[in-house]
Amino acid sequence: MSNVLKIKKETSEGILDFFKYLLETDKVKGIFTLKKMNDSEARAYSLITSLDELKQADPFYPVMPVNAGKVLSEMTLKEAVGDPVAAVLRPCELRAFVELVKRVQADTENILLISLTCEGVFPLDETVNGNLGKQLPAYQDAAKKGENAAGLRRTCEACAHFIPGLADITVSFAGNKDLDTGCTLVLNTPMGEEFSRGAPGTMGSGEIQSQELTQLTEKRKEARNKMLQERQEDVKDLKSLVTTFAACLSCHGCSHVCPICYCILCDFDSKIHEDEPSNFESDLARKGGARVPSGTLLFHIGRMTHMAVSCVNCGMCSDVCPVNIPVAEIFSMVGDPLQEIFEYLPGRDIEEAVPSGTYKEEEFTKTGEQ
Amino acid sequence: MNETYIPQIIGFLCNWCSYTGADLAGVSRMQIPSSLRVIRVMCSGRVNPLFVLKAYLKGADGVMIMGCHPGDCHYQKGNYNARRRYIMLDQILKSVGLDQERIGLWWVSASEGKRYAQVVEEYTNKLKAKGPNPIREEIFI
Amino acid sequence: MPAKAASFPAKEGIQKAAVDFLKKTLEQDCYDALLIPVKVPGSSSYAWVLAKEPGLLDEANPLPPVMTIQGGRALSDLTKHGIFKHRIGAVLRPCEYRAAVELFKLKQLHLDNISLITIDCPGAVPLKDFHNNYEESIKNYENILKTWGEDDSIRQACARCHRFSLADLDDDASPTMVDIHIGILGGDKDQILLIPASPNGREILEKLDLPLDQSLESWKSEVKKIKKKKTDTREALHNEFKPEISGLEKFAAVFDQCINCHNCMRVCPVCYCQQCYFDSQTQHLSPTNYLERAENRGALRFPLDTLLFHLGRMSHMVLSCVSCGACEDACPVNIPVGKVFSWVADETQPAFEYSAGMDTSEPLPLQDFLKDEFCEVETPCECGDIKSVEVKDNV
Repeated sequence: MSNVLKIKKETSEGILDFFKYLLETDKVKGIFTLKKMNDSEARAYSLITSLDELKQADPFYPVMPVNAGKVLSEMTLKEAVGDPVAAVLRPCELRAFVELVKRVQADTENILLISLTCEGVFPLDETVNGNLGKQLPAYQDAAKKGENAAGLRRTCEACAHFIPGLADITVSFAGNKDLDTGCTLVLNTPMGEEFSRGAPGTMGSGEIQSQELTQLTEKRKEARNKMLQERQEDVKDLKSLVTTFAACLSCHGCSHVCPICYCILCDFDSKIHEDEPSNFESDLARKGGARVPSGTLLFHIGRMTHMAVSCVNCGMCSDVCPVNIPVAEIFSMVGDPLQEIFEYLPGRDIEEAVPSGTYKEEEFTKTGEQ
Repeated sequence: MNETYIPQIIGFLCNWCSYTGADLAGVSRMQIPSSLRVIRVMCSGRVNPLFVLKAYLKGADGVMIMGCHPGDCHYQKGNYNARRRYIMLDQILKSVGLDQERIGLWWVSASEGKRYAQVVEEYTNKLKAKGPNPIREEIFI
Repeated sequence: MPAKAASFPAKEGIQKAAVDFLKKTLEQDCYDALLIPVKVPGSSSYAWVLAKEPGLLDEANPLPPVMTIQGGRALSDLTKHGIFKHRIGAVLRPCEYRAAVELFKLKQLHLDNISLITIDCPGAVPLKDFHNNYEESIKNYENILKTWGEDDSIRQACARCHRFSLADLDDDASPTMVDIHIGILGGDKDQILLIPASPNGREILEKLDLPLDQSLESWKSEVKKIKKKKTDTREALHNEFKPEISGLEKFAAVFDQCINCHNCMRVCPVCYCQQCYFDSQTQHLSPTNYLERAENRGALRFPLDTLLFHLGRMSHMVLSCVSCGACEDACPVNIPVGKVFSWVADETQPAFEYSAGMDTSEPLPLQDFLKDEFCEVETPCECGDIKSVEVKDNV
């Protein structure tokens, strides 16, 4: 049981009241969340410091232009934020942020982490074709009923980790049948409680679990199994692997939007993986032909060896791919069993070491002795 | 299948244990197939998974990583890291439908000349039975 | 511009004819390998392949319905780290060739042992449409091949492309690096023209026993006709576009949707930096700085400096922009990047009397200077007045 703050307003409005309170009382210097970009359907993350600009905030708008965990990491890369700041992140964004903290790429200090039980986001395409606004009522409805909304990112409808673990405050969104009449903030940590003391609304106690949430979790797990089964065909052997990545432009958009891919100069953007004429010439001698540039599969599988163990399935990679390769789904297929082998879940526990950075003396004892 | 097919195997051998073990096998005049091309590294923990992956995707029929038995690493922990990296690479290849048996990890100590010869012989035969790595002919990777 | 060209039978269509010709060049040892787009087995998509085996060309297409990787970039990936011992042929669309010229000037590719073959280009379908709706795109592409720019389904960059043929045709007849240009416009529809643009090109045609007995007149006049149309379209589109994006508010609004993925920069053939300035450490400041900036305006958009990235990239490469539109194809949120950049290119390149990718002997504008020029921006000016800079009309 936790302390729960209830604001008697529709959830998306109630949260703005809470933010207003935080700014007015100077409890935080800024709110980091989605903001409207003029009158378009575009939304961008913004560090909001004035009450005026706060009116344009739209924290739960179902789009992810960039993984917020990645942005917060870039913000806190050199040092922690010096003044308290509230940040709204979806569960996968929060998990990505935690994975980055483990890699010494981010700092949580002074950040009030606010997350929500996540109904998911729509693909970026929907903001471009102007269709997102029309889908909002059905989206809201599905959230109340604990169902998967139609038209979401595939990785969202297949996400079973949509209940945030490490947030200071969790807003009840997906699985909340009272979404339209009340804004419920579950205060998980002393920091969450401290910042909420005195905020408008009524304090009570409660917890985030509900029947609708349990139901949604089951639905998500089903959707995940379905997705993984469908993708099996795409990566079942060399031929299908080549076909799946046939259209790849080597633009590396996927790695550049990936929150876990933090390297300032990626291995695969560097000279290490560029070819000298002799490489092509030996390929020509051996195979009679060579793809230019080389290393399309090496990039994807290589990137898997670097980050699949921390993949949070946010789906940014698929969204940004110019040629519709289902990168996120394929990386889910790889990440899931890999994380299972190491009994690891990215972003679950900030003290839990990243598997590729640690070891146990007694493990996999049969390996190597054959 | 071609009777004269000799698999082309790339081996990353750690200097202190497995490379020395290989040396011992040679000095003891043990018969070792000519399939393995050895690359000496100071520690199995130095082996970047990308070395192994690149060799595999370039068409190596097999890639071997050899190091000291757990607990015996010259640098204390390198082989523990190597073990995890190999497990990871093995699983990733499984997940994407590539033949993970073409990559392997063996612990061979400096005194295990016989084991070295055995391991290379066995692996070579296994790869012979599989035939050449189909990636060798693949242009669109 | 040569006086005569060779012909090659095209009874089964242009693409087959071009591929047959190229197969012959490989078979007759004009070079050891050919760089050309090839359809990937099991897929509808194309990839650049350096083909030694003529058999690989069975699925090759010098004019695929989409532009995948910009050909200039592919050529640079192939040759940037040295000179091939093999002789290589490369088939490029005109915009890809122009990008290769700029990359050559930027020292990002070697052209030793390379034969460059270009081809009249009708345009392509947008990459997104191709992957979202393949069947429709293929039908659209067939129209594009017939109508040369009058089909609405064409890529934006191609709709306004007026340099779709051999550059030499222009009044500013400039030295070119093309060896052979494949002419597919005008004349007999049962043949394609093989136009030698260099001694190497002539040698290749000689090796294939293809006599230079065809007149270029019909091809030239067709090209000129379409070029006039396309030039007018380009100007009209740019003039239409200008008021939509002029001024800070409107210009900024173009990038409302921008997610700062930098796809546009990475697919751009001219953006060759190993690590882009806008991805580097120089862009990382302390959170104190960010909070301060946020407080100054009431809010600070993240990722930061969207306009700085686009305008900055513009300042780095727009003088070499060849209007290929790769940027636009790669944008996940449909920002008309290509439109913006080619419009600015048309307004800035003429200030230096420079046309990207055209005159191969002309140095890059910012790598050169004259002692006496642009006195209008100097204070005091040689003439004693301070005049405003006059930008020449669009070429």
